Parts: sequence; C-alpha cells; structure tokens
Amino acid sequence: MAVYIATGLSVAFLLMLVGLTMRITQAGWISLDPEIFYSLLTLHGAGMVVSLLLCGMGGIWYLVRREVDMDIRLAWWAFGLIVAGVAMVIAATVVGKFGAAWTFLYPLPFYNPTWPNWSIGSFLIGIMVITAGWTVWSLQILKAVIRRSGSLRDALGWDMVFHAKQFKAAGREPLPAQMLPAIVISVDGMVMSAGGMVIGVALIVHWINPAIPLDTIWAKNLTYFFGHSIANFIIYMLLAFVYVGLPRYTNRKWNTNAVFVVAWWGTMIFVLTAYFHHMYLDYAQPLILQYSGQVFSYMSAVPVSVVTVYGGLMLIWRAKVRWSVGSIFMYAGMAGWIIGGAGALLDASVPFNVHLHNTLWVPGHFHNYLLGSCLYFALGWVFLQAEERHHQRSSPAMRWLIGVMVFGGTALFLTGFYVSGAEGVPRRYMVQPDPGQGLSALASVGAIVLLGGLLVCLYEGARLWRNQSQDGLAGLVNAGSADGAGSANGSPVSTLEAP
Amino acid sequence: MNTQGLVLVTFAIIAMAIVALFVVVALTSRGPTQRLDEVSTKGYALRRWWFAILSTTLILAFLIMIPFYPYGRSKSSANENAIHYNIIARQYLFEGLPPQIPVDTPIIFEVYAADVNHGFAIYNPDNQLIGQVQAMPSYRNELVMTFTEVGQYSVRCLEFCGIGHHLMGGSFTVGEGND
Repeated sequence: MAVYIATGLSVAFLLMLVGLTMRITQAGWISLDPEIFYSLLTLHGAGMVVSLLLCGMGGIWYLVRREVDMDIRLAWWAFGLIVAGVAMVIAATVVGKFGAAWTFLYPLPFYNPTWPNWSIGSFLIGIMVITAGWTVWSLQILKAVIRRSGSLRDALGWDMVFHAKQFKAAGREPLPAQMLPAIVISVDGMVMSAGGMVIGVALIVHWINPAIPLDTIWAKNLTYFFGHSIANFIIYMLLAFVYVGLPRYTNRKWNTNAVFVVAWWGTMIFVLTAYFHHMYLDYAQPLILQYSGQVFSYMSAVPVSVVTVYGGLMLIWRAKVRWSVGSIFMYAGMAGWIIGGAGALLDASVPFNVHLHNTLWVPGHFHNYLLGSCLYFALGWVFLQAEERHHQRSSPAMRWLIGVMVFGGTALFLTGFYVSGAEGVPRRYMVQPDPGQGLSALASVGAIVLLGGLLVCLYEGARLWRNQSQDGLAGLVNAGSADGAGSANGSPVSTLEAP
Repeated sequence: MNTQGLVLVTFAIIAMAIVALFVVVALTSRGPTQRLDEVSTKGYALRRWWFAILSTTLILAFLIMIPFYPYGRSKSSANENAIHYNIIARQYLFEGLPPQIPVDTPIIFEVYAADVNHGFAIYNPDNQLIGQVQAMPSYRNELVMTFTEVGQYSVRCLEFCGIGHHLMGGSFTVGEGND
C-alpha cells in the first residue's frame, strides 16, 4: 500500500511546515493573527496524527496481505473515507479557521466561537468520517488475521502461552511477529472507534441543538479515550516494520514466543487504559481512576522496554549488521521510543504532572514519539524498500549527512520543548512568557535542520529507488569516499515485493 | 533545584544513558559475531534481571509518590483553618483573585469555570510553576497551597480556551499579615 505511506509521509511533511510556522511565530520571527495561529494548531494536531496513522495502516495492511489474501477494495474504501474526512478537517481549519484544537474539548468548539458554525460540523463530522475509515480497516485486518490463524484464540496466541507443550508437540508454528500488532491494534481500534463515535454523535447532537448539554467530565473522558488511543496506535503499528525490517538487516529472526505474546496482551489493555493520565488535575474524576492512570501508564512501559526494544537490541548485539539509512532509522527509532517513554513516564507521575501538565513538556514527549520514533520507523521501511530494489545502500558520507541533520535537528527541536516545559512555559500559547521565545527560536532552528535532512532523505531515497548514479548531491557527498554507494552487500536477496 | 528542574535533569541523564547504550550495542556489530542462540541464552537471562529492576523501580516509585498526590488535601486537619477563595475562570480572565494573600497560611482556591475548560496555574516570583488545577464547567476543583515566599505571583490559564488563551492571566501578592 504505497499510496497509504506516500500520502501519509507527504501530508506529514506539509504539516511539519505548518508546525514550523507556529514555532517561528512563537519565536517572534513572524507575526500571525491569533485566529490563524490557533486554526493552524488545530490543523497540525489533527493532520499529523492522521498522516502518520495512514503510514501505519498501510504498513500493517501490506504485511498482513503477505500472509493472507485481502480484498483491496476495502483498503481503498478505508483510504477514501479517511481522505474525505481529512478534506472536511482542512475545510474547517483553513477556510473556516476552526481553532478549538484537535482535542475539540467540549464545550469550547461551541462557546463564543470565532469560527463559523458550519466549520464546527465540518471538523467533527470529518473526524467521524476518518474514524469510519479506520473502522473499515480494523475490521478487515481483524478478519484477515483470524482467517490466517484459524481462530481469534489462535490469533491471540493463547495456546502458545497456556498449552505450550501441546503447541510444540503438534508442530504448530508461532505467528510471525508482525501479526501481533495487527490483531492487537485492530481489536483495540474498534473499541476506540466505538468510544469516538459516541462522543462524536453526542457533540453533533449538541451542535444541531445547543439546548441539549453534555456532562463536561463525561465528554472529556471520552475525548481523551479516543485521542490518546488513536495517537498511541501509530507507534505500535509502525513497529511491525521493525519486526520485519531489522531481521533483514541482521539476518536474525525476531522470535515470537510466549513472553512476546504476553507482552502484546499487556499492550492491548494498557494502550486503552493509560488515557486516565490526561485527567489527573480534574479532581471531579473518581479517585480510583487517578491512581489507575499512573499504574497503567507505568505498566505500558514494560512490554516496550523489556520485550520489544530489548529484543531489537538482541538482534543487533554482535550481529553482522547491514548498516544503511534504513537500518539506522529503525534502530534510532527504538531509542527515540524509549527516550520519549522516559519523558512520558515522568509526566505520568501525578506529583510531577502538577508541574508539567499542559506545559510544553507534553508536546515534547509526544513529538519525541511521533518524530523520533514513528517517523523514523516509516522512513526506515521506505529506505529498506529503496535499498533492496536494486541492492544498493547509501555511502557512509550520505548516512552521516542524513544522521546529523535528521537526528541533530530532532534533538535540538525536542530540547526546545522539554526545557520550556520544565520552565513552566504553557503549551498552546501563541505568545509565550519567558523563556519561551528564546527556546522557540532554538526549536525552530532544529526544525529547519530536520526538514532539510528530510529533503536530503527524499533525494537519496529517490536516487536509490531509481538506481541512479552518483551525480549531483550524492556525488558531492561521496567524493573521496572509498565506500561509494551501489555496492552489493552480500546479504540474501530480498523476497520483499515492492509495495 | 525545584521539582521540574529535578525532572529535567533526571530525563536528560536517562536520555543520554539510552543513547550511550544504543551506541555501545551498535558498535558490537563491528566486532566478532555470535550466533543468535548464543546471544539469546545470555540475553534472556539478563532480561529477567532487567524486568525485575524495572518493575521494582516502577512499583516503588508509585508507592513513594502516593503521599504526594494532591487529592483530598482540603480535608486534612492541617488545612482546617485555611482561607478560602472562590475563583471563577471565564474567557479570558480569572474572577475572584485576591490582591493580597498572607504568607505561611493554608489557602484553598475553589476553582470553577463559567464557560469552557480552563487551567488555574500559579507561578512564584521566580516564574516557576508551583501548582495548578483544572477549571471545568459544572464542577468544582480545589487547589490547596501555602505560600512561603513573599512577592508577586502570577496566574496563567493552562487549558486551551480559545484565541485569547495566551492572554488570560492575573496576579496577586503574597505578603505578611492578613488581607
């Protein structure tokens, strides 16, 4: 599903430019009307989540289809619904200047709005149409994985865990690693869709008839259940690329064993229940849910760090690794996940949250995930495809150039967020109190370097894909380099089809 | 160093340690190789320790933090004689902010929202965020504070509330004696 990934990455790049526009406004380099700034904020938030979600959806669809036949028309339906929803969101924010943030927290979209009434409906219905597309995809993936495994019980690896001896004695093979994110996200995805549709319908009813009020804490719970879950699904879906890609780069298999399966069961629960950490400072929330928020947030770190990332490190340890832009991105993405996770765990600790809640620490940690992990996983996969197409990889000089620009730019960009957050600079402020403006300038420099690095990636990726010679930028970068690109690396021939 | 400074330093140390770990592991790919089954035997044994250390750390951290949770503080006997202030947050101001608050005195801000969700966040004279609570329509939230430093404090809205969000704030002075 190249269309999913290409669309996702293209839209993500454009929305990064929107993000940069916001950061340079906060740095004081340009001036914007608040109506425009906050509508861009809304567009950026909603759009980045959906664009990276598309990358993950395309990846999972492709990897599952390698195991079992699936009707491509349903994938197109899902894509079409999501594109239609995105168009409605763009209309609402760009044309209508809808600026209630992507969290559309009731009653803000409706109260004393500076945006036209139609834009509220366009945004909310757009999000619901996107959710409908997501649901079509989830249902298809769930059905496919069950068909491949034989039953839901087998798809979840039940016998591997509870009847291990009989499982082995019967000569049954564990599912490929990438099938676990597929089943877990499709199951959780439908639960999330249900919650999202309930709050969506309720908000639409209120939009049509403002005399019908909603309970604010009920609405906030559902909004964050939906928003937190859909954002978190992205990284778990894109992880499937690493489960398939890293073994290709190391010639080592990623084991699907009982521990691996139990870790995914944990993820299936924790990704839906950790959202309570968004409600810590709403004291009307039942106390048991406040405690649960920290407990589930902490527990969600365990499968990631003990099983997935640790497993990835084991694949690399003393292996003959084919280091290339693709493998470096996948590897760095795992580091980015753990670092972002550390930032998240600190913020998910209630006594610290009192000082970090709704400061720039919050976008710090989720940009750490989305840029420093999700985007890297997606780019890693794209480069894997490009490298294996003609059995080429980039020169060391090109790898260094991309590494310095992308990783260095990301680090600078994220530093601006984290330090600002620790200094109490609020999030979602067009004009920031000190020391926000200076740190926004630092972050803007980082973003510009990062975007430059992504353009270099685009150039180099296209060159590898077309099997082009070392002209232009690649020639400049490789000049004098002993290990020019284009040499076969001796790894087994890839059997991956080009998407 | 304040709490958030400590958090930032802790985070920076963890981040650098993770980068160092990943670099060290990556460098092993330049040395002699091992079969995966050899790596797995030692790796899984080490993982049990990692799981035990991580789980213990998280459990202890959670238990240690519980006494520092902000919930129910108004019911504590230490705050029996607290001074109460009703704060109403609305686009884009905080009504009910007192001009002066006595130092070293338990204070309970009872925070309401008249229109949309807001955040009531207090910054000390050094511009450090020392406490906050949400302001939600139809619900009452409490923020219990004792100010130990005299000076000018500022209040900012920390929950996005519309295009005037960044302009919403106020201030009060903490001084000796009653207001």
